[in-house]
Amino acid sequence: MRSVVVRGAVRAGAVAGITVWYLALVGIIERLADLAIIGGFLTMDQLLIFLPAALAGWVALRPRVIGGERLTPDSKTAIVGGLTTGLASAAVVVAGVVIVNLIGVESVRRVFSSLSPALMDELYLGLAPVAGTIVLGLCMVVVAAAAAALRRLPANVRQPIVAGLAGVVAVALLERVAAPAFDQTGIEKDWLYNKRLGGLEWVGAVVVFVVVALTVRFELGRRLRDILLPDRAADKGALAVSAQPATVAAAEMDATTQAEPPSAPEREDHPLEPRVSARSLQIVAWLVIAGLLAVLPYLVGPVVARILGSVGIFLLLGLGLNIVVGYAGLLDLGYVAFFAVGAYFTAILTGGQRVTFAGFRPPVIGADLNFFVALPIVVLIAAVIGMLIGAPVLRLRGDYLAIVTLGFGEIARVIFGSTWAEELFGGALGMSEITSAPIPGTTFDFQSDPRHFYYLVLAFCLLAIVVSWRLQASRIGRAWNAMREDEQVADAMGISTTRYKLLAFAMGGAIGSIGGALFAVSLGSLTIASFKILVSITALAIIILGGLGSIPGVIVGALVLIGLPGLLTQFEDYRLLIYGATLIAVMILRPQGLVPNIRRSRELQEDERSQDQWAKHLLEADATDAPQPSGGAIT
Amino acid sequence: MTALLEASGVSKHFGGLYALNGLDLHVNEHEIVSVIGPNGAGKSTVFNVITGLYTPDGGEVAFRGGSLLGRLPSQVTKLGIARTFQNVKLFPNMTVLENAMVGQHCRTKTGVVGALLRTPSARREEAVIRERAADALGFFGSRLAGYRQDQLASVLSYANRRRLEMARAMATEPVLLLLDEPTAGMNPRETLELRDHIVRMRDERGITILLIEHDMRVVKGVSDRVVALDYGQKIAEGSYEYVAHDPRVIEAYLGTKATG
Repeated sequence: MRSVVVRGAVRAGAVAGITVWYLALVGIIERLADLAIIGGFLTMDQLLIFLPAALAGWVALRPRVIGGERLTPDSKTAIVGGLTTGLASAAVVVAGVVIVNLIGVESVRRVFSSLSPALMDELYLGLAPVAGTIVLGLCMVVVAAAAAALRRLPANVRQPIVAGLAGVVAVALLERVAAPAFDQTGIEKDWLYNKRLGGLEWVGAVVVFVVVALTVRFELGRRLRDILLPDRAADKGALAVSAQPATVAAAEMDATTQAEPPSAPEREDHPLEPRVSARSLQIVAWLVIAGLLAVLPYLVGPVVARILGSVGIFLLLGLGLNIVVGYAGLLDLGYVAFFAVGAYFTAILTGGQRVTFAGFRPPVIGADLNFFVALPIVVLIAAVIGMLIGAPVLRLRGDYLAIVTLGFGEIARVIFGSTWAEELFGGALGMSEITSAPIPGTTFDFQSDPRHFYYLVLAFCLLAIVVSWRLQASRIGRAWNAMREDEQVADAMGISTTRYKLLAFAMGGAIGSIGGALFAVSLGSLTIASFKILVSITALAIIILGGLGSIPGVIVGALVLIGLPGLLTQFEDYRLLIYGATLIAVMILRPQGLVPNIRRSRELQEDERSQDQWAKHLLEADATDAPQPSGGAIT
Repeated sequence: MTALLEASGVSKHFGGLYALNGLDLHVNEHEIVSVIGPNGAGKSTVFNVITGLYTPDGGEVAFRGGSLLGRLPSQVTKLGIARTFQNVKLFPNMTVLENAMVGQHCRTKTGVVGALLRTPSARREEAVIRERAADALGFFGSRLAGYRQDQLASVLSYANRRRLEMARAMATEPVLLLLDEPTAGMNPRETLELRDHIVRMRDERGITILLIEHDMRVVKGVSDRVVALDYGQKIAEGSYEYVAHDPRVIEAYLGTKATG
């Protein structure tokens, strides 16, 4: 055991050291030098220097399966492993420092342009080179050992601590968003953020840590979710009660929804009472959320409202693509086509003008409709195009489908930007003078005020969420589900796969085109540069990150992949690097996504537990009734 | 009287291999017919041709007097022919109840508008789907009842997967049910239980059954008629006793006696 851990520790430590150098050489560390986490104590670059070592310590001490047995390292192994990890990572980093100094910083810089004297100073932690290098190495050892020790703690202590630390970093990074919100509402914030140095005050950091840790410790997030979305659990409970013995049904409800020991039959005794209060609690919770959503843009100010607007646009893309990929299982890499269709057709139907070298020219076919009149037409066009794209690929599956749709996405881009269709879509110079979607009789200006635009996007996002939700819970959603699981069998069960594939492309295209239409409104002008394949990839990344087929997942995915980079402008240059790293991490650690579809992630273990309950019930029934064969079913 | 299902002269070849070679087969209403034969005799191919998964290279398949040729599997199911698969094919990430509800798909018609607006008729239909699916599951008694309906199909025991597959097929409200080795992999007690289920399906629900089966006790127990296949051709047909003693059937299963 110990040798396995130590070997793993050396490896993890070495990887951590290399990661630090990688981050340094691509320039992230230097870029983040002035981003404070805790004012005067910790900056983001220092965090990035030590984080790999901490992660390595954490990973090195993971429980191992040896000879079919799951073993948790004992305390001695943990100490040895943690120190080894730290030494290994420190050795790599320090070796790097020595090598750079031997060659000379300026010489190395000719190859790695980010390696500046300033960066070296950061690695020395602001001390003299020799002393700094020694302290750096020692600190890495300490950090790795601390992470390894943390791993040894029981889960109910460990998880709150980790979450609390992550929360402190997150709140510090969100200073730019949160500070205006505090100013706006007039709440005192000086205890939280350090005005002079940036980052958090010590008091603020402690408060954030405690709040987040307690939230995680008492699973408030899950409780909130149960309050907000109890429907599924309630439905199932009711169904099971009507069908079979009450105690088993109650046990099942507990087992799958709350993971408590199945011992709550009192729910059966008062079936109405708790449900009514849960219901009112649910309504109150939703009202609070609705109220928050309503005042949000004025709370956070126009800059963040603009970011929320683009989150909304990508949320629409994600929801649409989720129907095609998540529900129907058709991997579509050309989804940007619908985004472009929505944007360009909105432009030509609402009086948008082609940009030419001789000034604005109207498109050959065009209209000057109000946005809200034009939108249904745009959506219809997108649905039809969805079916047109869908028709030739009906027989393709998986990889082949992905490649062909990838081609369609490029074709769309080429057509919209082509000289051939210049008279219609403006060619390389694009379109301008696109409507700001005025609502007659109101003073909303969706183009120049991002806070107003936020409400427009919010309305359509809510609509798209309801549409997705209802489709999923219907006969149609079931047909898509079945088709995704096994197309041939779905066909044999009477589902016309042709019809449902086309329907998925049409619905997905329709929702995506709304995203495109709003994008056009928000900018007022379009160029083909906005419709690159990267849009398709981003939309796909959103739904994969959140969890395929899960509506809350799409929301979280859009917030994480669009919202966070928008807020953390310091990371802007490394956006794609972080995308990639995030996706790899999620795919390895949580392949079902951050907020997976419930049905896809329900745990086997819980099912087995309720199966045992069922077996017990059957045995009791057998004892009283005529003997019934029950052996094979319970295996 | 014309037969419910009438296949005549059906041929199907894969490359040079004849899976079916001029096969004639008929099933009368309310009959239970077993198809037996050694591995590779073409039994499953018959099912795949009937249900539209394969297009035959020759011959005709008629159901209630109308041709099935050129119809898609989904259309065949809608006409009233349901099937199970030799290697159980469920929707593993859907619940037991949802699996059965999928079976109701071809008997219902809620469209996009109904689903989006939750119209009264859509709600009513959803309730009916649920009820009928639960009814199909209820056919197997406590096996697929209660909490189990909300479990994922993938956690079911092997025997229960077979039962669920049959329930899902029953939920399509078939006239003719094709069962492909329904007792494969079941223990003796489960096999006996399933034998009773097959008979009950016909007696209580009026479903005509065509089954492929290897377990001769089951074949003997349920069949009104037995058809033996070998090399894609019918080699014997008649009562179980008759077919079981037919020298060609014995030869197909055991090989020829050493002569001389």
